[in-house]
Order: sequence, then C-alpha cells, then structure tokens
Amino acid sequence: MRATRLTPLATTLLLVTLGVAGCGGDDTTPEPETSSSASASDSPSASESTSESASATPSDNTQTPEPERPTIEITFEGDTVTPNGERVAVPLGEEIDLVITADAPGELHVHSTPEQELAYEAGTSTLPLVIDQPGIVEVESHDLELVVVQLEVR
Amino acid sequence: MGLPTAGRDLLAHGIGGAKDLPIPLELAIAGAVAALVVSFTVLAVAWRTPRYDAATSGRPAPAWLDRLTSSTAWRVALRVLGFVFFLYVAAAAVFGQDTLVNPFLGVFYTLLWVGLVPASVLLGPVWKAISPSRTINAVLAKVSGSDPEVGMYTYPERLGYWPAAVGLYAFVWLELVYPHSTEIGPVRLWCAMYIGIMLIGGALFGNRFYERADPFEVYSSLVAKLSVWGHRDGRLVIRSPLANLDTVPVAPGLVGVVAVLFGSTAYDSFKEASPWVKFVQTTSIPSGLIDNVALLVFCVGVGVIFAAGCMATGVGPDVRRSTLPDVFAHSVVPIIVGYIIAHYLTYLVEYGQTTIVQLSDPFSRGDDYLGTADLEVNYWLSFHPDFLARLKVGAVIVGHVLGVIAAHDRAVRILPRRHQLTGQLSLLVAMVFFTVGGLYLLFAA
Repeated sequence: MRATRLTPLATTLLLVTLGVAGCGGDDTTPEPETSSSASASDSPSASESTSESASATPSDNTQTPEPERPTIEITFEGDTVTPNGERVAVPLGEEIDLVITADAPGELHVHSTPEQELAYEAGTSTLPLVIDQPGIVEVESHDLELVVVQLEVR
Repeated sequence: MGLPTAGRDLLAHGIGGAKDLPIPLELAIAGAVAALVVSFTVLAVAWRTPRYDAATSGRPAPAWLDRLTSSTAWRVALRVLGFVFFLYVAAAAVFGQDTLVNPFLGVFYTLLWVGLVPASVLLGPVWKAISPSRTINAVLAKVSGSDPEVGMYTYPERLGYWPAAVGLYAFVWLELVYPHSTEIGPVRLWCAMYIGIMLIGGALFGNRFYERADPFEVYSSLVAKLSVWGHRDGRLVIRSPLANLDTVPVAPGLVGVVAVLFGSTAYDSFKEASPWVKFVQTTSIPSGLIDNVALLVFCVGVGVIFAAGCMATGVGPDVRRSTLPDVFAHSVVPIIVGYIIAHYLTYLVEYGQTTIVQLSDPFSRGDDYLGTADLEVNYWLSFHPDFLARLKVGAVIVGHVLGVIAAHDRAVRILPRRHQLTGQLSLLVAMVFFTVGGLYLLFAA
C-alpha cells in the first residue's frame, strides 16, 4: 500500500529532475557558441557568409574588423607529423587554410561527409578546406597511418 | 594498395565519415545529476514486494495478431524474406568490388549490428525470425525428416551464454580493433566462419544452440525484452517493457554478454578522444597491442565492476552469491540500449540511408535494382547537434532509470529482507558509474 502511494511521488521527482536537466540544457539555446567563444566569433553568420566572394567588404560583420582566416599549420618530418591528433575548433562552412610544410609529397584524407582528399607537394604549400557539415572530422595522413588533427566543426 | 580507387584507400579506420560533436558539458552534468537523483529516489520510495512475474504479467494480444504471428505462413514468409536478403548481400560480398560503396559493409556494420537494436525493441526477437543459419538448419531438418529443435546432443547448460559473449567479442574486435575492418575480404571471412560455426552448432545441439550461442540472436532477443511483445503459455501477450525485461532467461555468461556489449561501445567512444589518439600515436608500444588490450580492459572492466556491485550484498541461504551477476545482468540491457542510441543514432540514420542507396547497386556497376540508387541521404540530425545532444542524454537517462528499476525489482525478489536496501547500494553505484562514465565519454570523446 505504501508503495502505491509513493509511486506518484517517485514519478514526480523523476519528471522534475528531468525537467531541471532539460532547463539546464536550454540555457545554451540562445547562444550556442558560448562554449567555444574564442574561435566562434566569426561563425554566428556562417549560414549567410557561405558566399566567400563577398569577403572583401564584410558589412554584416560589425564586431570583428578583419575576420582572420583560420589556419592550421602541419609539419611533416620523416615518419612524424605535427600536430599529432590534436583537436582544433573550426567554423562550419568557412574556408580554412592548411599550411603544410613537408619533406616529401603526400596526401591528406579528410574524413568529412563526404570524404575529401588533399594532395600536397614537398616544401610549403597552402591548401584551402571547407567543411559543410557539423561534427568531428579527422584529418589523416594515409602514408603514415596517423591522425594529424581532429577538426571540431560547429 | 596504392590503387587509386577512392573508396579503398580512403577509409583505413572506419566508415561513415564525420563523427558526432561532443555533447555540451552542462548537459552531461545535468544528465549525471539526474541519474544520481533518480537512482536514490527509486531505492528510497519504490515498491518493497516484487512486482514483475513472468507467469502472470502481460495481457493477451488481439487474437488475430496472435493467430497471424504464430501461423506457419507468417514464419515461412519472414524466413524467406530474410534468406533472400541474405543471399542478395552475400552475392555483393562474393561478387562485388572491394570498395567502400559495396553495400556488404554497410549492411554488416550498420543495418545488422546497429539496426538490430531498434528493430528488436520495436518488433521483438527479429534475428530469431530471419536468421539464415536457423533457416538452413530448419530446411536441412525438413529434408532429413528430423526436428530442428533437437540436435545430436543436448546443449550443455553450463555453457550458458558464454559462446555468445565470445562471438560478440569477435564481432567488436573485428569492428574496432582489426586494422582491415573495412575491406571486404576479412569481413567476408568473418561472416563465413560465423555461418559455419552456427550450422555445425545447430546440427550438434539443435535450435537451443542459437538461443544461447548465436551472438546476433542473443543480442537481438535480449534487446527484444524491452519491447512490449512477449509469450506466456504459448500465447502472444503485451507487457510493459519492464515486466518483459524481467523474463530474460538467466543462464551462465549473461553477465559476459552485457559486459562485452557495454564495454565495447564505451571503448568505441573512448578511442576517438584526442588525448588517447595522441597517446597511441606517440608511444612506442605497437598500436595493435594497445587496441587489443584496451578493448579487453573495457569489456572485462565492465564485467568485473558489475559483478562486484552485484555480489557485495548479504544473501540468504538459498542463493549462491556467485550466481548474482547473471541474475542481475538483465538490468544492464536498458543501459546498453540507451547508450547504443546515444552512440550510434547518427551513424544508423545517416550511414543506414547510404547503405540503402548502395544496396541498389551491389556490384558497383551503376545498377539500380531496388530503385533506391538516386535517393538523397538526409543529414538533418548532423545539422542539429543541440537536438541530437539532448536526445542522447535523454536516451542514456531513460535507459538508466529502467535499469535501476529492473535491478530493484530483482533485488526485492531474491535478497533477504534485511539486505534488500543495503544490498542494492553497491549495484546502484556500479550502474551510476556506467551511466556517468557513458555521459562523460559522450562529452569528452
């Protein structure tokens, strides 16, 4: 008998807890970029700024005077590569530059959806890259069988 | 090697492209707090006399549904459907090209391994109904005039589910550790060995072998206990998922099955984490060894923690302490399903669609046998990471709540009265550890 009276109580408590949990999560809705504010200052308008050609006059970008193009430097030396599996935040749908310094030509595999392949020469080269779908995207050197960076695209 | 076939070289380490973003920290914490509060609430206020009883629970399903699902025509139709699909995919595996657009890989890793879970939760034990090895065994028995239920020997009950646990481990090893897991040849070999062992086992021990030793059937039938479909005295009944879960047949090795399922999924999250990737890539220990050890540690670790949680209680004279992990193992099933949903939902939805597109062209020649070749894959889920994160945490928490209730009911049934509350504490701690650990991996990996 005790159990039957207490069951609604338990249910209520459960719902309240889940409700609280839900509210806690809701705080993030208005400003989804709060967690990665450093790199995300240029991403709120990502959906509109996909037309890259207009970048000369960024009229809609009032906070940042000159949006810095995100750059990831990658160095291949023999059997090693730097970085080595780091995670890097990357804005969604914007062009980023991979600046590659290598002692031998090779190929990077970008495990985005869909997959992309980037070939580079020996010496220093700059490869542009755009990821149009949010997620964790691994950039892998197939020759070395190493993950170079994990791009956190949002 | 070195062939310019895009598919072959591209994915040395997995299929399905981008992975999910980590869930936000505040959501992970909210989920963890909810798990804690709910656990102790259940312990404090839930019923004190067992509520679920397989012999009486459930109400009869509509008579027409019972007649339909128990009819020979229905069973044969499902077997034929399953077997046709099996032959279709086997043809792709044998005659198709060794590229990632061969649907065999997607069917094996996505539709079968992950799709089995929602299919079984919604429809009941689906693998049992369509399993090709059961079908072959039944046909052979029909031809030779014997009974597929019985084999040459009686299945040794001491073995219990252990063969299935080993089979499941063989699967997750292939998927998560074996470096060539996305090449057709090795996966085809794995499947051939699986079918071969199933046929020999079926001939030796009859259908009992499939109930206890077929990894996919054990997985599917276990998860199907969270569906509303059950049987009582040969009649189809509709039960609450919790009452249904209570009817999981307890046998040795059940704890091994749930440990492999939960441990391997946790390892799959963990191995994507950047610090782990960095460690594996910089250490001088061969990565094959590390991966093997890590998967084993996760599975054995889950089993040991759970077993310790179950056994750290006072028991009555009629209960052997060493049987407790298997007796309570059913309560991990909802936790597994919640975590599988959290971990694999995007993969199932998005790579599942890709697989259905690929299925139309099994030999990679530009065919369109099923008319699905031109379908567009819908990536809505990936583009709504906030919604996805909430869904994941919700699934984990619901799974945790169901698991705690299931364990509580089992505890009040088998533990002596004075140990009923304290005896559950250690198990509760183990479950909270699994859930919070799972949430942490969703946040950090």
